[in-house]
Amino acid sequence: MAEALTLLPPAAAAFGTVKLSNVSKTFRVSGKSVHALDSVSLSIDPGEFLSIIGPSGCGKSTILRFLAGLDRPDEGEILVDGKAIGGPGLQRGIVFQDHRLLPWLNVERNIGLALHALPGSPDEKAARVSELIALVGLRGFEKALPHQLSGGMSQRAAIARGLAPRPPLLLLDEPLGALDSLTRARLQEELLDIWRGERITVVMVTHDVEEAVFLSDRIVVMEPRPGRVRSILSIGSERPRRRSAPDFVAARREIDELLNHRT
Amino acid sequence: MPDVAVLRQDQKGLFWKALLLPAALILLWAALDLAGFVNRQLFVAPGQVVVALFEGFSDGSLPGATLATLFRALAGWAIGVTFGLVAGVLLGFSGIARGLFDPTVTSLRQIALFAWIPLLSAWLGNGEAMKITLIALGAFFPMALGAQAGCVNVPLAWREVGTVLELSRLKQLKVIILPAALPSILAGLELSLNVAWLGTFGAEYLIGTGYINGMGDGLGAYLAAAREYAQMDRVLLGILFLGIIGVSLDRLVIGMSRRAVSWQKH
Repeated sequence: MAEALTLLPPAAAAFGTVKLSNVSKTFRVSGKSVHALDSVSLSIDPGEFLSIIGPSGCGKSTILRFLAGLDRPDEGEILVDGKAIGGPGLQRGIVFQDHRLLPWLNVERNIGLALHALPGSPDEKAARVSELIALVGLRGFEKALPHQLSGGMSQRAAIARGLAPRPPLLLLDEPLGALDSLTRARLQEELLDIWRGERITVVMVTHDVEEAVFLSDRIVVMEPRPGRVRSILSIGSERPRRRSAPDFVAARREIDELLNHRT
Repeated sequence: MPDVAVLRQDQKGLFWKALLLPAALILLWAALDLAGFVNRQLFVAPGQVVVALFEGFSDGSLPGATLATLFRALAGWAIGVTFGLVAGVLLGFSGIARGLFDPTVTSLRQIALFAWIPLLSAWLGNGEAMKITLIALGAFFPMALGAQAGCVNVPLAWREVGTVLELSRLKQLKVIILPAALPSILAGLELSLNVAWLGTFGAEYLIGTGYINGMGDGLGAYLAAAREYAQMDRVLLGILFLGIIGVSLDRLVIGMSRRAVSWQKH
């Protein structure tokens, strides 16, 4: 898998097509079976920013773990660029909610770890790491250990690590969920800049309606027990979006209603 | 940074507090001795222990015994810890190894250290090889257990980072498993030092002292001889040295351990 990636930017955003067909999953939790996903079908276009939103238990994180290759569905098929997912890999970068930086490695080495399996000289990799550190605004913190960073800085480093191998598909699992609202708003804008600059497909799981409307091309609203797609909304307005704009507020309200008034 | 300063000050206070009880006991001992309450057959005056200390240093018997014990303990510990670390990491990292060897290792661990003496002395005699093997065996199990537990208990969240980043098994071991297991490995290291230190004394005291192969060396043999000739001053001195060196070794290893896991928030 890693061989197909390079340290160089991709020529065009022609990759990152995702297709889920009739994906189902049942977990066994303390003797009882929990129907986590029921026949979910979804297709994601290359270069799209797609958010999945829904109450806890709707299986949104499960979908992301499938895409990452960390879990497998019981039924159904998931294709990324026409190929089934064999397991976790660098083709799909993932950023977890709990940044998952290794506490014994400094920022630079945490990010550099994502380049380990790629071809390229140590100098080229070091250059890529410093480019990423600049991109996420962590200049001056190259040698800092994770416990010396704030939550926002840790998440920036985790995003840099996810982006490092230039995956055509970036998966974000509530990446800003643990941050305070000011830091979150700032990182949302940075995320948008990164997505536009790197021209990648982004799939983000979130529980924050405003965040989804602010960032996404399309929003998948899910419902729980069993996890199903309730509705898919397109957000057509130009970016950067103003959170107080009428169409922004209307989209928020529509999603809130879908989430709250279940039939 | 202020945290560290506070910690240091506390530890300094603790050090002096820790000395209070021993000092009080020595004073009590001296007072009882002066008042004439002490049976001279079983107890000696504090002054006589000091005299024996100077004698022991001037004839070289005490530093000689101490060094012999120290080197023996460190040699056995180093061997046991090396094998224990390799075995523990293997058992913790590889499911196949765990299935094959874990039941055996777990069973062998239940055997008291000194129960190995008859078997080992039959195979290796009562010399240095036997003593060091016994000490190494004592150090092996806590180290293996610490390393195994550390490797098995690495949180899934960190393991997943390794697979998502397509790291090789070897790289995962080096960058994720071993650093994550380090606190547990160091705990095993400390415990194995304790066992090695106790085992060293036991080996010296029980094996090859007087009866079979002539007098051995080390603090254990020093104590055995002192007991044989009813020299209570030397008995006390031997115990004192075992205690002081044991505690120093322990502190040294704990101090180095703290430094090695400085990435942990304290």
